[in-house]
Amino acid sequence: MPDLRLSHLARTFASGTSALADLTATIPAGAFVSLVGPSGCGKSTTLRLIAGLDAPSAGAIEWDGDRPEIGFVFQEPTLMAWASAARNVALPLELAGLRKGAALERARAALGHVGLAGFENALPRELSGGMKMRVSIARALVAGPAALLMDEPFAALDESTRARLNGDLLRLWSEEKFTVVFVTHSVFESVFLSQRILVLSGRPGRLVADIANPAPYPRDELYRTSPQFNDVARDVLLALKAGER
Amino acid sequence: MTQRLLRLVLPVLLFAALVWFWEWAVAYWQVKKFVLPPPSAILAVFQSDGASLLASAGATAKTTFAAFALAAVSGIALAALFASSRLAEAMLSPYAVILQVTPVVAIAPLVVIWVGLDNAWLAVLILAWIVAFFPVLANATAGLKAADPNLRDLFRLYRATPLQTFRRLLVPSSLPYLLAGLKTAGGLALIGAVVAEFAAASGTSGGLAWRILEAGNRLQIAKMFAALILLALMGVLIYAALTFLEWLLLRRWHGEVAR
Ligand SMILES: Nc1ncnc2c1ncn2[C@@H]1O[C@H](COP(=O)(O)OP(=O)(O)O)[C@@H](O)[C@H]1O
Ligand SMILES: [Mg+2]
Repeated sequence: MPDLRLSHLARTFASGTSALADLTATIPAGAFVSLVGPSGCGKSTTLRLIAGLDAPSAGAIEWDGDRPEIGFVFQEPTLMAWASAARNVALPLELAGLRKGAALERARAALGHVGLAGFENALPRELSGGMKMRVSIARALVAGPAALLMDEPFAALDESTRARLNGDLLRLWSEEKFTVVFVTHSVFESVFLSQRILVLSGRPGRLVADIANPAPYPRDELYRTSPQFNDVARDVLLALKAGER
Repeated sequence: MTQRLLRLVLPVLLFAALVWFWEWAVAYWQVKKFVLPPPSAILAVFQSDGASLLASAGATAKTTFAAFALAAVSGIALAALFASSRLAEAMLSPYAVILQVTPVVAIAPLVVIWVGLDNAWLAVLILAWIVAFFPVLANATAGLKAADPNLRDLFRLYRATPLQTFRRLLVPSSLPYLLAGLKTAGGLALIGAVVAEFAAASGTSGGLAWRILEAGNRLQIAKMFAALILLALMGVLIYAALTFLEWLLLRRWHGEVAR
């Protein structure tokens, strides 16, 4: 699996808004990295650049080798309202040309992996917010991507659903070992989940700190209240404060 | 349950009461038959001229249906063209708007001359089509643009072909808009057909509007009412059919479709 290198990444929009100024970072294959920063500092822009949905104004995105298969999870579940959970999850496979039967079979398995066995035929409007987000994650993972990009995926969920999904995400990551770039503006979520936290300054985003979190996995709920957790969270908070302007 | 029953029974009761009052009032105040005929006279017309009125209704229905089908096909096709080419949209949409804002009655004489007086039915069809076409085009165009931008990005991420994006994303996202447009177009096709029959003012089309003009000239007011009632029934039927179609297609993913 390839490493991902961002070098002097910048993006200025046609409107003149400079969203991202100069981001350089190397994300090793299989790492869980969070991107935190104030609203509007270019986090979503960075993810779109990595996914190839947008092109940088300067700098480069380099993978060792070809650009791998990528899964993307938005803040909203972003499901096709007219399609069942299984059809939604099967989408990447069907677009890649897999025939419907085989795609649905794998989609069902993926739904099982995110704890949604039995909901294959449910329509999005019949699912709760947390369940819809699980469908979205299953869809992002169904094609076995090497990298998973997540843009504040749990921001709209309630506290306990969010904690449960955090745990499930870590379990999936440790099982399948894809690279995760996780955008959040919750300091605590970033510390709980990741091995490394990249802190961006206010717009235009610049890297102000690259903080390692050496705590071993699996991390359980009690880890959230440990002194080690607090030490890292303090570092991230201070870096965020320093990056404000 | 009783609530729903009341909603069904009350309008019927009100209708019966109104008809009864109408009959009674016309007799009581001795209203002249050519001002306001009593319901019984209208019913008599249905008995004496029912067959020929129904034939006329059939002619108008045929025009309406053909105009609606034409409007649906051409509106959707043009919207699909607009969705795939901005240039085409920029070039053509002004003409669509001009066609829409020009009163159909004003175009009618020209169209009648163009297709020839012997082909009044064709003139009527073209005019009704012009009236019904625009709501389909406008709604389908809006619908094709209404797809969730994040879903569009997802399709791009997975390297979907334009055809895949069209079939799996744009068409389903546009469906609610398109159906709303078709509902409007169904009503307008009928209105357009009637207006065009009036404007073409020719017996060759033989539609209900022509029968209304004819009856008016002969002061057969009861017959006018009979034709009007048939037109109203046709309008209701079209609306009901399209509402049913909408419910059929959207019930799966639009729990809240109005019925
Ligand atoms: N397509 C775009 N065109 C113009 N400005 C944009 C566009 N996308 C984002 N922006 C602007 O760039 C800045 C950074 O946006 P974003 O990356 O979404 O921030 P974040 O996700 O960190 O909140 C914001 O000011 C936003 O308004
Ligand atoms: Mg964002």
